[in-house]
Parts: sequence; structure tokens; C-alpha cells
Amino acid sequence: MKLLTPITLSLALLAGPALAYDGTNCKEPGNCWEPKPGYPEEIAGTQYDPQHDPAELSKQQESIAAMDQRNAWRVHHMKQTGEFVYDVRQIPDYDENTSPPSP
Amino acid sequence: MSKQPRSRVSALAIAVATGATMIAAAPASANDRLVEMAEDPSNWIMTGRDYNAQNYSEMTGINKENVTELRPAWSFSTGVLHGHEGTPLVVGDVMYAHSPYPNTTFALDLNEPGKILWQNEPKQNPTARTVACCDVVNRGLAYWPGDDDQDALIFRTQLDGHIAALNAETGETVWMMENSDIAVGSTLTIAPYVIKDMVLVGSSGAELGVRGYVTAYDVKTGEQRWRAYATGPDEDIVLAEDFNEPNPHYGQFDLGTETWEGDAWKIGGGTNWGWYAYDPQEDLFYYGSGNPAPWNETMRPGDNKWTMAIWGREAETGEAKFAYQKTPHDEWDYAGVNVMMLSEQEDKEGNMRKLLTHPDRNGIVYTLDRTNGDLISADKMDDTVNWVREVQLDTGLPVRDPEFGTRMDHNARDICPSAMGYHNQGHDSYDPERKLFMLGINHICMDWEPFMLPYRAGQFFVGATLNMYPGPKGDRQNYLGLGQVKAYDAISGEMAWEKMERFSVWGGTMATAGGLTFYGTLDGFIKARDSDTGDLLWKFKLPSGVIGHPMTYKHDGRQYIAIYYGVGGWPGVGLVFDLEDPTAGLGSVGAFRRLQEYTQMGGGIMVFSLNGDGPYSDPMVGEYVAEEGEDT
Repeated sequence: MKLLTPITLSLALLAGPALAYDGTNCKEPGNCWEPKPGYPEEIAGTQYDPQHDPAELSKQQESIAAMDQRNAWRVHHMKQTGEFVYDVRQIPDYDENTSPPSP
Repeated sequence: MSKQPRSRVSALAIAVATGATMIAAAPASANDRLVEMAEDPSNWIMTGRDYNAQNYSEMTGINKENVTELRPAWSFSTGVLHGHEGTPLVVGDVMYAHSPYPNTTFALDLNEPGKILWQNEPKQNPTARTVACCDVVNRGLAYWPGDDDQDALIFRTQLDGHIAALNAETGETVWMMENSDIAVGSTLTIAPYVIKDMVLVGSSGAELGVRGYVTAYDVKTGEQRWRAYATGPDEDIVLAEDFNEPNPHYGQFDLGTETWEGDAWKIGGGTNWGWYAYDPQEDLFYYGSGNPAPWNETMRPGDNKWTMAIWGREAETGEAKFAYQKTPHDEWDYAGVNVMMLSEQEDKEGNMRKLLTHPDRNGIVYTLDRTNGDLISADKMDDTVNWVREVQLDTGLPVRDPEFGTRMDHNARDICPSAMGYHNQGHDSYDPERKLFMLGINHICMDWEPFMLPYRAGQFFVGATLNMYPGPKGDRQNYLGLGQVKAYDAISGEMAWEKMERFSVWGGTMATAGGLTFYGTLDGFIKARDSDTGDLLWKFKLPSGVIGHPMTYKHDGRQYIAIYYGVGGWPGVGLVFDLEDPTAGLGSVGAFRRLQEYTQMGGGIMVFSLNGDGPYSDPMVGEYVAEEGEDT
């Protein structure tokens, strides 16, 4: 049988506590995450800080708001005329900065 | 029903309770029409055939005794390569077929399928292809039966993010709305789904950090009725006042932000691109939210709610009555969007229960009471699942095995299942006579090492390198034995039978009262197994591998079985995009390195019947006949 070297032993000891998060210790119902040993509770300011750019994070919501606005004009025009027009620039009174007039 | 129904629900509940008299008295709603139409074996009018999403047919024309006489009756090429997922719809004399990008829709005349009644090909920005994570697939169409004001409609999603309503008779576009923006990496591959006078549209793009949402549109005008997100503030997630009241330990309010650090929920994934089911009596529809973004778990501490959850939402308002998170703080990309199959069965205590059964990517088959979200069973679909020791039915928590978690600065090995899951997008079936779920299963495990990366809207936001290979029961030397088919009992938790397959059974299954279970394989076969024993009774070599599910319909008194061929999807990306690096294609290229020895790309529908009898059994059907007065 091969004897464990001091290095493998110390690695094994380090590996021990690193294997702890099992998902059953909950702070509150539905909130049971724990940092793995050796990893931070909060990543902001650590080597794992994702440093997200707030401008990038808001792009999806801006894009959805703009699509919803265009769709509202399409629906408005179809309700008014019975004709569907996809290209909002072809819709009379279309203004990308405002919602269509309420019915 | 234990809940206090609202007035509009009461009307529906009364209609259901009083049955035929009520139907005779009041005009049938679109729901009722679809339910009625689904009962007619001539039709297959939605994904999963009917609202129970069982992919089950009462027809017995094709059965264990005569299945060996099954032959192709006719076929149709869509004119497009790439993955052909989903299944065609049949309404009366017409088959409606969809294709991958550019998402052309076809209507075929079942009396003479050589004739294309109409086709509608959208003009799309080809850039959409560059933000599709896993091939340019599409999972199907939806049908709305029409009313006094509006003709019947076919609904189509497009990869470029549009939802379109087409006139079912002429194919003309009635309206088209923007649901997803490819500029931020948001695409559509999910099949639309019709409930009442609404069409539901899901979302894709968690690999590009897209925050998931589901939207309901008015079928006639395309006007948005409601939209519900998977992460963020409760008003965005659209929770009912009594959300999760029957199971408060699942978590209730404010968790869409509290289980994230900072604003990470804004790019938190949770898209839904799988399948839906609906219970008209409860007015609840069911679906699963996908994985959180990025794949690098260290970059998003917390349970990351409500990604990876099973949802029960009110169709009318979109309000969530319950949600159960299967995989808190995902570390493996176990996107929880898989099929939801409804059944009514006795639980272990002998109580009749309205159930929902869901084979998840994470290797667990979940069964919940679909009226309140109670957890009834949660079994491993294979004993080689190792990320979790067990799911505690009382707490609902998965007991993680830390050895098979993932984390930064660490290459985790031999995790089962892999990111492709032990079950993926395949739409499976339930045999209500045998009380068995016919599961198409993957047998793939992986090594996984995350890395740090920035988020830039419109760019991939994955952050992990994967190696995938066959599971312990497969052949790891030769990269074969990547799939299984099993018949599962949700109450006892037992497998009635299990069979290995060369490749993953990616497309789903269909069961029939003829005692047969049909499915397609990636290596290009449609197979029929004995539903009682799993014995292989018949197969046919199709032009290409299959990633959609079989369907069946009756026409002119004859039962047909139809299936798409056209390999692709995630398992096919190596073959489809000619990739060699085993870690490419998000790790699938290595796992499926042998696929190209068995199949090439294709795209079409193959239709089978006993002896291959069909519309052209009389060869004169569809022949050119010169007009009177012309030379012959």
C-alpha cells in the first residue's frame, strides 16, 4: 500500500471543508444558498466580482419597452382601420416617443 | 377545488361541472372547441396532442400484432437543412408543417399531400442565426379554431423574435408582433400555445444572459394581455396574493431579488423554451423556467429564484399560484424547461390526485399535485445521477453532493447528468391504461470548469468549458451508448422496463392504445416498442436523425404515424456546423463525435401506415389531367 505523502494529506484536509454546501441550511424559506468554504458570501470587491456595467444591464429592459411601444401602435392601427401594418413608420401619427392615443 | 375561485373561474367551473347541458346552452369557448377537436383522432391540434400533453392516442388500428406491416405512405421535404424539432399539426384535411430557420410554414392537403396548399416564408434578419445557442430549431405551431368574427389561425414563432398569426385557410399573415430582440441575444425557438383567446410565447437566450419571460397575446389583435418574468421584483414575476400558500417552505415573496446579489437578476436567465400543459378546470397552465446566467456559478451567489422552477399560473391573468424550484443555484446548466405531462392517478395513500409529471434535465422526474404544487415524488431517472443524493419530499430541497458541484478555479469531473441533462427538450408521453410514462433519456456525463467573463448585451455569456461523454452504463471508449428509453411509474417510482440506445433519445416519445411506444433516434430510425415489455417490434431507416416527436392521426378511416427527420439541435451542432474541438458546441461536439458516422443533415416529414396504404394507393390520384379541348 502506498503511503500518503504530506502534500496529498494536506490537500485532502483542504478539500474537506471545501465540500460543505449541501443546500439544506436555509436562512429563510426558499433561501438556502451558502458560500462554499473558501469562497466569499458576497462577491462584490473580491476577485470574483463580475463588475457589471449598469448600462449593459439595462439594455434588455429598454429594448423590451421599445418593442412593446411599437406593438401598441400596430394594435392601435389595426383596431382603428382593420388593416395590419407591421412597419410602424407607415402608421399615421406614429411617434416613437409616445404611446398610441387610448381608444 | 380547495381554492376560492373568482367569478370568471366560477363560470368555467360550473360549465365543466354541469357538462353537456351547459355546453348546449352556451356557445363553446375556444378552450372547449380545442378540447373537443383533440378528442377526434382525425386531429392533432397542439403540441402534446391535447391540454394534458400526454402524446397518447386512443387509436388501435396500428397495434402490437400488425406493427411489422408499417410502411411509408408518403413524405415531404421542407427544403431546409438543420434540426427539425417538434411535430406537425393535423386539423381535418390539412397538415400544418413548420421548419427551422427561416421558419417557413406549410399547409399540405391530406387528400393529396403532393399539393402544397400554401406556404408562408418570413423575411428574417440572418443575424438571428448568430445568437442561437443550439442550432436554429423551432418546436412547432399552434392552432386557434376561430369564431364568428375571425377565421381559424395558425401561430408561428420566428428565430428573429416575432410571433405571427396566419390565416389557417390562406396562409396570409393576419398580424405579427415583436416579442424578443436579437440585438440583446433574445430569440424564439419555442412553439406558441393557445389557451382561450390568448397565445402564449416563451423566450430563449439564457446563454446570452437574457432574463426570461412568458407573454400572452390576444389571438385576434396581437395585443399584449400580460407578461411574467422569471427573476426580479414580485410585480414583474406576477405572483398571486396567495402564491405558494399551500407550500410556504418553497419560498414566497421578494425572492426574485433577494436570492441574487445586486442587480445580477437583470441578466439572470430563466427563459422558457420548453412545453406547456393546461388544466381548464383549474385555469392553470404549467411550464418550467430555464437556467440562470451565466453558467459560472461563482458569478451569481444565491438560490437565483425563480429560475429552474415548475410554475402553475392562471391563464387569464398570468398570476403564479405556485412555483417549486427544482435546482436552487444551478451549477450545471440543468435548464428546467422540460415537458409537463398531466395525469390523474391514485397516490400511495389511495387518494385520487390531479398530477403533473416532469422529467427534468437534472436527472430527477418530479411529480406534483397540479392544483397546489405539493411534491408527490422525485425519483432519479437513472441510479447514476450523482450531483444530488436525494430530494427531500418534506422540505422539497435537493441534498447536494458537494463533490459534484462546480466552482471557480476547479475542474469538476464525472458529474452526472451533463449540461445536456439526462432528459432534454424531447416531448414524452403517458399511457393512461398502463399508468406509465415513456421517457426518452440521455446518458451523458461531464467535466466542467468555469471562467470569469464580462456581460455585453448581444454576446454569449456562458463562462464554462465542458467535456461531455457517455455515462457509466455507456461505452466511454467508443463514445456510444448515450441514451435510454424507460417506462416509469410516477407513484411507485419503479421502471417497468429500460433499454439502452446508441445515442440520446432527444426527440421524445408517443404511446398508443395499440400497446406501442414510438420514438425517433438521432441515428435515423423511427422505432416501435412494446409498451409492456420494451421489446423492439419494428423500425424504419429515415433519411436523417430525429429530434422531434412522433404524432398520429386518422384520415379516411386509416391511422397514420408521422415524424420529422432532420438531425440537429444541441447534439447535432458538431455535425451541422462542422466543428471538431470536443469542447466546442458548449461541449456537445465531443460527446457526439460518432454521430456523423450514422447520419447527415436532412429535413422533412415521413408518414407511415399499414402496408403504406394512403392517398396514392390509387396511382391516378393527383395525376395531371389536361383541360378539355387541349391535345392529350
